[in-house]
Amino acid sequence: MIAFEHVGKRYGGRFEALAHLSFRVARGEMVFLTGHSGAGKSSLLRLIMRLEKPSRGRVVVAGHDIAQLHASQVPFYRRQIGVVFQDHQLLFDRNIFHNVSLPLEIQGVEPREAARRVRAALDKVGLLHREKALPIELSGGEQQRVGIARAVVNKPALLLADEPTGNLDPQLSADIMALFEDFNRIGTTVMVASHDLALIARLHHRTLRLSDGRLVADEGGV
Amino acid sequence: MKSSATSKRRQGAALKTSRQAATKPADDKTPRRGARSQQTRFSSRLRAWGRHHRSMAWDSFQRLVRYPLGNLLTMLAIAIALVLPAALWLTLDSARLLDAELDESATLTVYLALSTDDAQALRIEEAVNAEPSVLETQMISAEQGMAEFQQSLGLDDALAGLESNPLPISIVVRPESVEPAAMQQLASQLEALAGVDEVRLDLAWVERLRNLAELGRRVALALGVLFGLGVLLVVGNTIRLSVESRRREIEVVMLIGATHAFVRRPFLYSGAWYGLGGGLLALGLLGLGNHWLSLPVAALAASYGASFSLPQLDVTGSTILLSCSTLLGWLGAWLAVTRHLSSIRPQ
Repeated sequence: MIAFEHVGKRYGGRFEALAHLSFRVARGEMVFLTGHSGAGKSSLLRLIMRLEKPSRGRVVVAGHDIAQLHASQVPFYRRQIGVVFQDHQLLFDRNIFHNVSLPLEIQGVEPREAARRVRAALDKVGLLHREKALPIELSGGEQQRVGIARAVVNKPALLLADEPTGNLDPQLSADIMALFEDFNRIGTTVMVASHDLALIARLHHRTLRLSDGRLVADEGGV
Repeated sequence: MKSSATSKRRQGAALKTSRQAATKPADDKTPRRGARSQQTRFSSRLRAWGRHHRSMAWDSFQRLVRYPLGNLLTMLAIAIALVLPAALWLTLDSARLLDAELDESATLTVYLALSTDDAQALRIEEAVNAEPSVLETQMISAEQGMAEFQQSLGLDDALAGLESNPLPISIVVRPESVEPAAMQQLASQLEALAGVDEVRLDLAWVERLRNLAELGRRVALALGVLFGLGVLLVVGNTIRLSVESRRREIEVVMLIGATHAFVRRPFLYSGAWYGLGGGLLALGLLGLGNHWLSLPVAALAASYGASFSLPQLDVTGSTILLSCSTLLGWLGAWLAVTRHLSSIRPQ
């Protein structure tokens, strides 16, 4: 699903965010990405989302070499990837229902079908009863779950999460991770960047550890 | 070529069908269903596109109504920028009417030799009429000429003292073309006819008016272009601000796979609404100005013994104005959004 081949990423010619990075993630795998802040986790995710191109090497996601994608193809490429952000990136001027339906709106899904899928996603994260609420009326954990619902509503093959439990207490974090495990169980490839090492250790999934832009450990998993 | 390709495709389909028929005898609909799903996918995409257009048109209209004062000011700025060239265009339009009358008054006068009698004059008029570039002629007898002369000068007594009529018979010629060169050429042709003494044409004032009209046309065009640019800038600036205020939203939708066209659409509709609103206000201002000026203009015309009414935009003119303003608004928005989108990078 994801293949990094000797990937390097420099910013402004000097700062090396990633160097000699090679790994593969198979379809249907669940992978954690750890490392101290500034180790390159976000850069790695940005490459997968094709917010940037690698300075060196190749990044292949779902069969697409991301450096070869034409600008006009990028939106369609991104629709295959669900992304959960640390600050969940909800739109505060529209309610929960419309936040979650945004990806479907973008893809032009017929409204009745979209409503069905939005409710299914909200039901999955346990927020169906709040669909009319505005994001501001929800707690941090609930907002994050709305973000997850939005990421999975169009059934992406790949689900990325960047510090999804960053601001949450341990119990809520565990709930969120359990949600990711659920999605992984039905076949979605999941990659979660997190520095919550205690939580990661308990979950027994493959873990990639980055340090100074290099892969220093690739452990666990099957 | 085309028919052979189709037949080949048909053959392929038939082949597939027969192969499938071998394995799955009942199911002969499979290939057709495939084609149909392709069709529904296209038509559903078309419907989704239309749906988004409708919802964005409505959404941007509601945003406009939500902040009526600020948006009204923007539209007023557009309207003012449109009123000046539109008013000038109207003036030009009436000047073009004058121009048509001007053309009709552009004539040549052919003076015949004093000794010419009426029968000769008729033959000469026939000869003049035979010239292909002559539209029509009017003969003015010596007596008629005298009467007109007396009337216009009021010199009854002085002229009555004359023993014989010193005026020749003349023929007023309306040429087909009022181009100076063509008229000049016609004049020399007519002068060459037997019995013609002199051909007069006064081109200077026709020329002057012509140049004036051309000047007006160019000024109107330049103003139109300048103020059109002004509208672009006003809309562009407003849209730039609204893009800036919705930057986060744009970043988010781009992160989850929105195309540039999708992001642009609501802003293009806003721009078009601004343009349309500005155009309507401009029409209102023109009507108001017309009403405001019509009384003194009518009074002024009446004092000259003429009737003159200010030109008004007709249905065609109004439609043109509204289309232009809407198009300008749309274009201004397009420029602003396109320029801005390239600077927005999702974080």
